[in-house]
Amino acid sequence: MAPSNKQELQKTVNRVRLWYGLLILVIGIFGLRLFELQIIQYQHYKTAALHDQLRQYEIPAERGAIEAHDGDSVLPMVLNQQLYTVYADPTYVKDVPATATKLIAITGGNQQHYEALLRTKNTRYVILAKKLPKDLAAKVRGLELRGVGTQAQNYRTYPQNSLAAQVLGFVNDDGVGTYGIEQALNKQLEGTPGQLKAITDVNGVPLAASKDNTNLAPVNGQNVILTIDLALQQQLEGVLADGVKHAKAEGASALIMDPNTGAIKAMANVPTYDPAKYADVTDPTVFQNGTVAHPIEVGSIMKTLTTSSALDQGVVKPDTTFFDPAHWLIDNFNVTDIEEDGGPGTRNLADILNLSLNTGATWELMQMGGGQINDKARNAWYDYMVNHFQLGKATGIEQGYEASGYVPKPADNGAGINLTYANTAFGQAMTATPIQMGAALSAVLNGGTYYQPHLVDQTVDASGKATSVKPKVMATHVVSPTVAQAMIPLMQYVVTHHNFSPGFDENTYTVGGKTGTAQIAKPGGGYYDDKFNGTYLGFVGGDKPQYVIVVFVHRPTVGGYAGTAAAQPIFGSLAHLLINDSYVSPKS
Amino acid sequence: MTYSSSLAMSRSRYQGRNQNSVSFRVTARTLGPVSNTIVLIVLACLLGLLYLTQVTKTNAYGYQINALQQKQSQLKSEHADLEVASARLQSLARVQNSPVAKSLVSVAPSANVKN
Repeated sequence: MAPSNKQELQKTVNRVRLWYGLLILVIGIFGLRLFELQIIQYQHYKTAALHDQLRQYEIPAERGAIEAHDGDSVLPMVLNQQLYTVYADPTYVKDVPATATKLIAITGGNQQHYEALLRTKNTRYVILAKKLPKDLAAKVRGLELRGVGTQAQNYRTYPQNSLAAQVLGFVNDDGVGTYGIEQALNKQLEGTPGQLKAITDVNGVPLAASKDNTNLAPVNGQNVILTIDLALQQQLEGVLADGVKHAKAEGASALIMDPNTGAIKAMANVPTYDPAKYADVTDPTVFQNGTVAHPIEVGSIMKTLTTSSALDQGVVKPDTTFFDPAHWLIDNFNVTDIEEDGGPGTRNLADILNLSLNTGATWELMQMGGGQINDKARNAWYDYMVNHFQLGKATGIEQGYEASGYVPKPADNGAGINLTYANTAFGQAMTATPIQMGAALSAVLNGGTYYQPHLVDQTVDASGKATSVKPKVMATHVVSPTVAQAMIPLMQYVVTHHNFSPGFDENTYTVGGKTGTAQIAKPGGGYYDDKFNGTYLGFVGGDKPQYVIVVFVHRPTVGGYAGTAAAQPIFGSLAHLLINDSYVSPKS
Repeated sequence: MTYSSSLAMSRSRYQGRNQNSVSFRVTARTLGPVSNTIVLIVLACLLGLLYLTQVTKTNAYGYQINALQQKQSQLKSEHADLEVASARLQSLARVQNSPVAKSLVSVAPSANVKN
């Protein structure tokens, strides 16, 4: 080979080696950079990529339905319904009057109001209409109006309209149960939301091929079946509304319960509201279920419990008589009776209840202390009120905002405690709710078992498994069974000696009760002279009491004693409808 | 050429002849570095293609699932609407105000009237 060719070849080889070296260098740099990006900064870029690609959705759980008994079947009281909100982005709406005209033709409403909303400045979202049914929402979408859209949202719907509104409560805009069952059982009803975490495409559709996807199904809320009987509830509400109208009262609360289980069969208040339109309510007190949330001084219906307590302690017998002086001087105040009671005389327990003798109830309290109101009497009576009859504490019924009521402590506070306790014997200076009084009388009538009042009969979980709620015993030996045997005829005596029209067939049914006319405390102390609450505590049954009825009528103005004039007619109507509609099994 | 070298050459010649005659020699056929690289690249491409095919196919299921879920949701909504409509038709207020109920005649109770 010639030397020139050899040199040329050497140059070529060197050039190739140089390029090869450069190539290796570039590949090396690429490799290092890729190593840095993919290995060292792996987590950073993975996070950044997932931030763009990964979307996380909460899948809402369906809130449980609330149902109630209707004879042998179960009917829904509260269901869920998907309704639509119509919204607009004002920045996109060019022809405001035409848009408003087209919309109100479907949604209804006021043209000027719509136009004002569509002209709102500095916002991209205004709500034009709420709770639109599916067909109307479709019509709105069909208009294809620029800047106007619809959004689906779940709402509670009430097929029975306003029936048992306060018992049910409602679900507020934040999805939280408020008042009634909705509040008390919010956790059970709302369920657990699911979660969908997925890599999505640009339209938000989850792509299946990602190991980072998680799909946790929601657990729907439990359905709740109430102990309420819908037909009875409907009738109770009608009777109560008529009663309030007749008594010209501010309002009323009433309930019907089973004394042998604590199950509430009907529970109503007047005035009431439509839970589907709770936002329209101006007076929020109407949301309260007064039967559990509005304690008052109960008045003379308390004498049933005072008498039961005295009988149970053995300090009086069903046939005990005593001389009633028609007044007792206690802590320098006179405890007296109403004029119609006829002044001093020999009385018995039936008279105490029938004539509603305050002096008689005070005398019973005295017997608990060995003949006078003292520490022993106060402590014994306090023990019965709080530990036996469970007054002064919430019953635990499945309702929001249940009140405890008030029972004064028995210790001598140097401020006329004996007078205070004399007052408690006939239902003043203490407060209780209708549910507390109903549950306490139930315990007396069933022979001494205090069942927790309850509204839930069954729960049905998302898998369809039903669980029955068993009656819960809160206290036993509240009174002895012999007290029930004594109290039933005593309360029957009251009914037979009061004016019920029509009356009751004693041979077939057992109906007993007690009126109460309660003074109302003034905010600054003392009592109103011209304002009273009317109360009634009674029962209906055959061989044994099957229903306990409690009626509170607030500030009736019909005249006469509030208990007799306002509450008793409501009790009478309810007792008759229970008998006439065959809810009560007659005596065998 | 010396004698010894002449002898060695003749031995190696015989040796070669013997090997050839029985074909014991194994010819090493190996791919060169370029071929190896190309084969690896092709294999990597094939694997990549296979992966992409599978991912695309699976993602297509994602769209199907999404469509089915939307359908399910729509049917659930319709079911809920029907349930509400059914409940409203059975509501006590509606039954009470129905023409049939209005045509019923009230019968006054007589069995329990006394006093």
